[in-house]
Amino acid sequence: MTATTAPEAALGILPRADGSAKYSHAGYTVTGSVNGPIEAQRRDEHAYEAHVDVIVRPAAGVGGTRERHLESILQSSLSQLILVKDFPRSLIQIVLQVENSPENDYVDTKLVQASLNFSIMPALLQTAVLALLSAAVPMRATATATAIAVAQQGDHKKTIIDPSPRDIETAHSVHVLAFTSHDELLLAESEGDFTVRDWDDVYETAKRICCRSARPKEGMAMVLDEDDVGGPDMRHFLQSTMESKVAADLHWK
Amino acid sequence: MPREAEPSLNEKQFVLQALQENLRLDGRELDQYRPLDLSFGDQYGVADVTLGRTRVLAKATAEVTVPYADRPLDGIFTIATELSPMTSPAFEVNRPTETEVLLSRLLEKTVRRSGALDTESLCLVAGQKCWSVRVDVHVLSHDGNLIDASCLAVVAALRHFRKPDTSMDAGVLTVYTPAEREPVPLSWLHSPFCVTWSFFGDEADIAVLDATWLEEQVRVGSCTISLNKHGEICQIAKLGGTPVDAVALLQCTSVALTKVKEFSDLLDTKLAEDLKRRDKGGFMAELRAENER
Repeated sequence: MTATTAPEAALGILPRADGSAKYSHAGYTVTGSVNGPIEAQRRDEHAYEAHVDVIVRPAAGVGGTRERHLESILQSSLSQLILVKDFPRSLIQIVLQVENSPENDYVDTKLVQASLNFSIMPALLQTAVLALLSAAVPMRATATATAIAVAQQGDHKKTIIDPSPRDIETAHSVHVLAFTSHDELLLAESEGDFTVRDWDDVYETAKRICCRSARPKEGMAMVLDEDDVGGPDMRHFLQSTMESKVAADLHWK
Repeated sequence: MPREAEPSLNEKQFVLQALQENLRLDGRELDQYRPLDLSFGDQYGVADVTLGRTRVLAKATAEVTVPYADRPLDGIFTIATELSPMTSPAFEVNRPTETEVLLSRLLEKTVRRSGALDTESLCLVAGQKCWSVRVDVHVLSHDGNLIDASCLAVVAALRHFRKPDTSMDAGVLTVYTPAEREPVPLSWLHSPFCVTWSFFGDEADIAVLDATWLEEQVRVGSCTISLNKHGEICQIAKLGGTPVDAVALLQCTSVALTKVKEFSDLLDTKLAEDLKRRDKGGFMAELRAENER
């Protein structure tokens, strides 16, 4: 199936949740909903801050260890972003439902996969951030994320942005990096063999994708973009998605 | 988790009184469905059903496993319905509620036990290898009438689904990847659909189709009729304590048949549209490995 190159998102698609978003990029489609702040259960209640509950649900099969691991990573990253101290004794519930993930046409996929699937992390994080924005949950900053693989090409290594399952299979290492809107590194997860120099390359590439500064408004933008290295501009995408949503919501004014 | 807020006494009275005057809050007729939409995903076996504000996503998958010891000639077919907190914060993960149990029971009776999918065709090597077909039902948004929407989603997903092609050669089983051979559809026998009637009033004398969530909270009983377009009834489930007149039930069944024919037509046209969309170069007929029946 064709993987979309440009990220796409729709906000506020679920009528009953406080906030929701559907995000698709690089073959992954994730729908997320946010409810909160709501009443927390006794066992989840913190006296001084809100509990952030992340639930990742796979498209097929029941969630297992892999989903729990993704949840724990997302939970710790998102707690950094949300102003949890503002809502003591409450719960912010984030449900991420994977709808579609790219398949490798060259191998038979088994339903239960023990292996990690890192490349879905950016889609999950991005959906969560969009859904949180849609639910108007106060946050310290927004975040943008990307997945990068390092593969051998001839006698030197190259970085692949948003790798496909086939790329991941042949790659030396896969990295997921997320940055806040203050250009701070929020999340760095890596898998496979790599050197410090590889990681530095990956870091630079990821930073270019996630933290590109705002474009000049009109006119010269096109010329400047040409010499830029490929890959989507995540921060601009997030901004324009929110801008169009706000414009649509304030249409009556 | 917080409990779902119940409608207030005034709200309940308002809905009931309106229904007694043959009016519904959204201006529909008593036997009219909300706008129904069905779409398929890029992958095989993904169906997305939107019924008003209710939205259900079903995904079918298949893998090769070992058959059950007591049924060596049958494949495995399961329908998994798990309501997530996305549906409503009142649902908890790993703690089934009554809604969820009823939904999975009804889907089981309608699709699995009516023999819609020929499980014998899923057998690859008797007693050793078989296909395990699994449908996951994800309720994204719940605004009443989950059962009808989920049933349509499950049937649509299964009819849209293609499983990898296989061949047996001198006792060696080969499963072909999608790159090698075009996947093949399941052996599907008939398409059952659910139609749910809700009953209102002390005597259960008002029957309403496709109740919204608010109406579902006010009703005194419901009756789910599952049948296919030929009028063959797979199951009838009458829930709620208030008795319903037998003649009224017969009428409900005949209206249900017309609705099921509409569902069936909708599904057929959507499947044909999707096939046309996929058949870009016109090679689909040549790629297919199956024979015409």
